Amino acid sequence: MPSCHGRGWDGVGTGRNPFLFDACIDGADMDIAEQDVQTTISVTDRAYAHDYDKVVLRGTSPQRDARDDIRKHPMGVQAAMQVLLFGTCLVDTFFPESGEATVRLLRRFGAEPVFPKGQTCCGQPAFNAGYEAAARVAAEHFLWEFDGDAPIVTPSGSCAAMVKHHYPWLFRDDPKRLAKAKRAGERIYELTQYLVHVAKAHEAGLRGKGTVTYHSSCHLTRSLGVREEPLMLLSSLQGATFVPMPDAARCCGFGGTFMAKLPEISCALADEKAASIEATGADTVTGCDSGCLMNIADAMRRRGTKIRVVHIAQLLAEGL
Amino acid sequence: MSAADRERLFLENAAIAAAGTHAVSGAGELLAALRRVVATGSPVYCPGVTELEKAAAALFPVRAADYAAAAVTVEEVFGAVAETGTLVCSSEGGRAVQAGLLPSHHVAIVRRERIFETLDDLFAAVAGAPPTNLTLVTGPSRTADIELTLAIGVHGPERLDIIVA
Amino acid sequence: MSHEQTSLAFRENSVRALEDSALRAAMKQAADTFGTKRADAFAPVPDLEALRDRASAIREEVLANLPMYVDRFAAAATRSGAVVHRANDAAAAREIIRKVLADRGARLIVKGKSMVSEEVDLNSHLEAAGMEVVETDLGEYIIQMEGETPSHIIVPAIHKNRQQVGRLFADRLGVPYSDDPQVLTKIARKALREKFLSADAGISGANFAAADTGSLVLFTNEGNGRMVTTVPPLHVAILSIEKMLPSLTDLPAFIRLLPRSATGQPITSYVSVVTGPRKAGDATGAKELHIVLLDNGRTEINAGESRDILKCIRCGACMNVCPVYRTVGGHAYGWTYPGPMGLILTTLLTGMAKSHPLVDASTVCGACVEVCPVRVPLVDLILELRRRKVREGFSDPKEKRGMALFGKAAAKPALFALGQRLAGGFWPLVRAFGGKDVAGRMPAPSRTPLRRRLP
Repeated sequence: MPSCHGRGWDGVGTGRNPFLFDACIDGADMDIAEQDVQTTISVTDRAYAHDYDKVVLRGTSPQRDARDDIRKHPMGVQAAMQVLLFGTCLVDTFFPESGEATVRLLRRFGAEPVFPKGQTCCGQPAFNAGYEAAARVAAEHFLWEFDGDAPIVTPSGSCAAMVKHHYPWLFRDDPKRLAKAKRAGERIYELTQYLVHVAKAHEAGLRGKGTVTYHSSCHLTRSLGVREEPLMLLSSLQGATFVPMPDAARCCGFGGTFMAKLPEISCALADEKAASIEATGADTVTGCDSGCLMNIADAMRRRGTKIRVVHIAQLLAEGL
Repeated sequence: MSAADRERLFLENAAIAAAGTHAVSGAGELLAALRRVVATGSPVYCPGVTELEKAAAALFPVRAADYAAAAVTVEEVFGAVAETGTLVCSSEGGRAVQAGLLPSHHVAIVRRERIFETLDDLFAAVAGAPPTNLTLVTGPSRTADIELTLAIGVHGPERLDIIVA
Repeated sequence: MSHEQTSLAFRENSVRALEDSALRAAMKQAADTFGTKRADAFAPVPDLEALRDRASAIREEVLANLPMYVDRFAAAATRSGAVVHRANDAAAAREIIRKVLADRGARLIVKGKSMVSEEVDLNSHLEAAGMEVVETDLGEYIIQMEGETPSHIIVPAIHKNRQQVGRLFADRLGVPYSDDPQVLTKIARKALREKFLSADAGISGANFAAADTGSLVLFTNEGNGRMVTTVPPLHVAILSIEKMLPSLTDLPAFIRLLPRSATGQPITSYVSVVTGPRKAGDATGAKELHIVLLDNGRTEINAGESRDILKCIRCGACMNVCPVYRTVGGHAYGWTYPGPMGLILTTLLTGMAKSHPLVDASTVCGACVEVCPVRVPLVDLILELRRRKVREGFSDPKEKRGMALFGKAAAKPALFALGQRLAGGFWPLVRAFGGKDVAGRMPAPSRTPLRRRLP
């Protein structure tokens, strides 16, 4: 049984479920991770030389060359559509397992995810706190790293909403970047949007287990308009029971910097949300935004509740 | 919307707002309805100005001199709005609108031809030269200020009966 | 009793509120009730979005031409026999009203609910001049008796439970204790009826003012608004200038939206349209009508980036759905207007120096935007105020430094990755040294972030 710590290669699976601070992933998940390691082959495929040329012409950092490593796709490289994966700063730093799960999902459904190594943050924390200049710096960098025409997929509703709705405003006085911003807004998908509308993953008979409930994050639903897609995916899980949560659309109290500025109110809201979750009798709660899930997991920890808190990417990837 | 539908919608909506509703044709039915809703012996204020008011007044030989002393006001009002089940009380023609406000029971008679279908229809008719006081009355007075629990009968009437004649 | 603004202590106020279990229970019940009522009320309304668009357009038209509509209203109201006063600020409004009342020897004043009168702190000024001012809206009556300020713009005593009201009435009115709302309401009816009938003057606000005819429009349920505006010989109305509508024909859209948004009713029991005082041949109306039009900073707001807040029609729907308001109640905001519209308007009217913590009193979840009947862009307005707060130098210095660092790291992947490693390596230190409010609620950064796991 592999240990809960990082493996030699900066590879997959520290075996740590980030939302239960003390737990390890069970053996089944590690098997999937093992497969990934086996299939990581450094191959430069001619079909992608064109893209690599584009990358070289833009003059990016040496880390970019790592995109030469194109994995052999089970469906054949020609059939695989290249998508750019925006991990988000929270996932990258705190919940990388969700990012890996996103990669597995995208591959399973015919996409070839590419992770621009220079990506950082969409700028939302600064934007929401009123720091326009800092937000714009982050946004500029995002547009640079994610330039092109490929779809962008991200396991975060609030980040997708940031790009779609606020980037054009940030670049209102900069026509060239404004055009890029608008284009990025058209290209970006929150993960469940992609899985339902492009990948039709809700028709794929994914597996699940136990009883699952769902927290609908505020920016995901109200800003991005993603209400049905996660529910379609969850109710399609064979072997799992989906139970709706009372007041699913009520804010969990994360609010980005809000949790730092008004932690007492944030905790009170998280407690209310935890109580709603507990009332469902579910053994698992999922959602599309890591910030919310992190806040909810903290409430669970404080209350001593043993419900599993997991990002929808991981939940769905387990059912592949 | 036909006149009959308008009247039906008005009575439905007025009832939802906790008004007592009655539809009558002719003086006989009007008096019968009044006998049903007005407790005998209560001091009644009835202006006795319009035809229908004059007919109603015949039922109440002893009347309160003014509405402040009355337990019930029986009067004809300006009109009604079907959309919301609302009575329209106007100060035009020297009407004391507060006659329907102070007593604890308001019995309002409205002619069926004076039922407007929508609020837009009403305001199109009166917006040009509104009277000093135009009050839309929907149901008796109410509040939910204490624990959001509905309590009927606050400062205005505790009971409203509407007779469409 | 004069009430000082305590918005700077929002966090402390909210911590106190969180510990008040009676308040929390009352707010929870209110949130649950309002949510259902509003949804039920709008369910049968065909094409709600078109209705909201229309109401929004009417309000925008008024704000785009505000001075014209105010002038038009003043002229029409004057023609109808009212005396129109323009009050530039709170002090002017208080003094105008005091003088009108004092000149006529008014001692007993009955008052309908008016948020603007709270904004200018009218009652304490009149009481200092020896007048008795009796609030007649049941909720306002209750809190006046308690010496408190309203905690909600529609249901001012929402933070009180029935037992508290029962004890209050038993103490102050000498009636037997009851906690039945029906009984308590009848007690208030009786107590206030005598005040209505003997009052020298009535003071009211107005929900809207129709510019074409100089008419005031009041939405009420209790009947006190009707009493206050028609029974005493003198009626003084105070309203802020953005309450204008072009014409009474614009009213139906708001009749359809406001009561449903506020209390879940299809219409309030009473909608009163008052046009001038009693004229020859009238048997209804106050003998004298004075209308005070209050600016108090609105012209300036209308000229700036936050002008859309002036579209607000004071329905209270935003606060009913706000996760912050619902949890801590209205008093925490420290001034007249709470919740989403309140934190915006308070900051604009009283200034960033007195209000800046309020702009952070939001998770920007967007629930308010969903329910606002006139499409006030509340989240955008809050974000704009946050940018102003930063520009004007009211943000926390630590946060400013942190954001500057963030800016650097966001554009330099190597620096970002280094930050990840440092945070990961020194997480216990981060947690121990003051980050516990945040860091204590987050897991430790992963030893291998995503960027090191993917090629």
